[in-house]
Amino acid sequence: MTAFDILAFAGRALIGHRLRTGLSLLGVAVGVASVVLLTSLGEGARLYVVGEFAALGSNLLIVTPGKTETSGLAPPVGSAPHDLTLDDVTAIERRVPRIRHVAPMAIGSVTARAGDLTRDVVVAGVTPEWKSVRRLNIGIGQFLPTGEAGADASVCVVGAAIQRELFLGANPLGEMLRLGDERFRIIGVIAPRGTSLGMDLDQIVIVPLARHMKMFNLTSLFRVLVEVSSQDDLPAAQRAVIEILKARHDDEEDVTVQTQESMLTTFSSLLSMLTMALAGIAAISLSVAGVGIMNVMLVSVSERTREIGLLKALGASSGQILRLFLAEAATLSAAGGGAGLGAAIGLTALARRLYPSFPVQPPPWAIPLAVLVSLAVGVLFGVAPARRASKLDPVAALNRR
Amino acid sequence: MIEMRRVCRDYDVGGRPVHALRDVTLSIDDGDYISIMGPSGSGKSTLLNVIGCLDRPSQGSYILNGHDVGTLDERALSRIRGHQIGFVFQSFHLVPRLTAAGNVELPMLLAGIERTVRMARVARALEAVGLAGRAHHKPEQLSGGERQRVALARAIVMGPAVLLADEPTGNLDTRSGSEIVALLESLNADGITLIVVTHDPNVGRRARTRVQMVDGAIVTADAARLAS
Repeated sequence: MTAFDILAFAGRALIGHRLRTGLSLLGVAVGVASVVLLTSLGEGARLYVVGEFAALGSNLLIVTPGKTETSGLAPPVGSAPHDLTLDDVTAIERRVPRIRHVAPMAIGSVTARAGDLTRDVVVAGVTPEWKSVRRLNIGIGQFLPTGEAGADASVCVVGAAIQRELFLGANPLGEMLRLGDERFRIIGVIAPRGTSLGMDLDQIVIVPLARHMKMFNLTSLFRVLVEVSSQDDLPAAQRAVIEILKARHDDEEDVTVQTQESMLTTFSSLLSMLTMALAGIAAISLSVAGVGIMNVMLVSVSERTREIGLLKALGASSGQILRLFLAEAATLSAAGGGAGLGAAIGLTALARRLYPSFPVQPPPWAIPLAVLVSLAVGVLFGVAPARRASKLDPVAALNRR
Repeated sequence: MIEMRRVCRDYDVGGRPVHALRDVTLSIDDGDYISIMGPSGSGKSTLLNVIGCLDRPSQGSYILNGHDVGTLDERALSRIRGHQIGFVFQSFHLVPRLTAAGNVELPMLLAGIERTVRMARVARALEAVGLAGRAHHKPEQLSGGERQRVALARAIVMGPAVLLADEPTGNLDTRSGSEIVALLESLNADGITLIVVTHDPNVGRRARTRVQMVDGAIVTADAARLAS
């Protein structure tokens, strides 16, 4: 028998039992679709994070107080880190070569009030350079003023969500915003941006750094972004920052200096692991579908016992019977796999249309893998029923009632 | 040429041996017409299954057209069934989802014959049994006599040397039955070896050689000629 004849025969046998074929096909389809969809979610998360980091530019060093490895090890117990202070920032600014910008940032949380409306907000204290380092766009108004006077001014820039919730969408420029006990005049609104570097820029209130540290009575910065002229300067700058801060902190290396690239790699590999884990979970549903195929094929073999006896009487060898039933199982699972793949691709396309900012898409390896695995599932779970069919005694099979 | 020497076939049923065939010795020439008769359980069908290579002797030798069947493996046996033997059953054994043409095509499909050749031979075989106009009917759309004729077309489509019919008229009314018998006999007249197992004495007595079986052994009728 040619491969085509085998497939045609198997296909006709499957079409003969529409409901049964349809249901087990659905099982495989759901299994394959869940593999593709879940890995698409994981891959979407990875691409989203990668995109976020890429938007920052690649010439960035991120300095945070406390010593942590990029691999995520906690600092050894008992080594209380020194504060990361404004003086440290000044030292970096003066002594690290080829620096373009240094953007220190402090963080606090407080209740904001405008008129009768209140809500808790995260308040970030930054310098005017922060805007260009973070590639920030201002929707209306302006960013923090430059110069000596600006550093201590009671002015603030708010996120889009703050404008929506505390001013009900009205233009807030020139209005007063009460942060705790102090009043700030709103001079700008950030264009909607969403979460970036772990901070939701739509929900944030930005005030001048010096004003911020006084208000919250802070001595340590939250983190410092250092932008150098080109990517080639990063290693030297990284070494210099660590050296300078080590010298200033009693010869103790108690800051973490990461390049944007190393963080990117860390996140990317972390999220790839997540994708794999999701694929593993989805694979379970695929194996359940495999058991479904096995069940359907066993039913088919016992229902068609007389047919198998007949085929043997007409000259079919055991090997041919085995191939016929394997082809049936493989056709079943491949058709299910194809349907599942189609559904998954359609759904991810729909998701991309609905949520353009979150790039849900199957990783390149998921599609060929899904097809291969669904075929393999069919063959694997088809073997036992097909062997049973091929081993039937022709005389007994022919006379089965 | 079929030659059996002291063939036995024993089954094990629930730990007790059952002797379905005891020391059967016979030889059948090409083109012969034989009927096998006897009560239920006398071993007629077992003998037919052994002749058709669906079953193997437990003891004794069976030589079919010069091949010692006892020494052949499963693949070779299936090849003999496909190419040298045609089966007709009491219950027709048509595949319900396939048309008449599809059923007749099956042995050629299994033998790996090319599609265009298959189509031509299906048409010829259906014409030979008088069903040219019924090629695209499913078995459920055919009468009992027509179904058996489809089965007969399927049995001869590979051009076998031996045609084995197990109660071919058992499920048919008298008229369809005699039509089938007439078809079988015309095929025998064209040279095919015809072996018919039957309960019906009217069918059995038409054969050139008549075999009577009791308890797995051949007891009467032309036994001398067959054992020659």
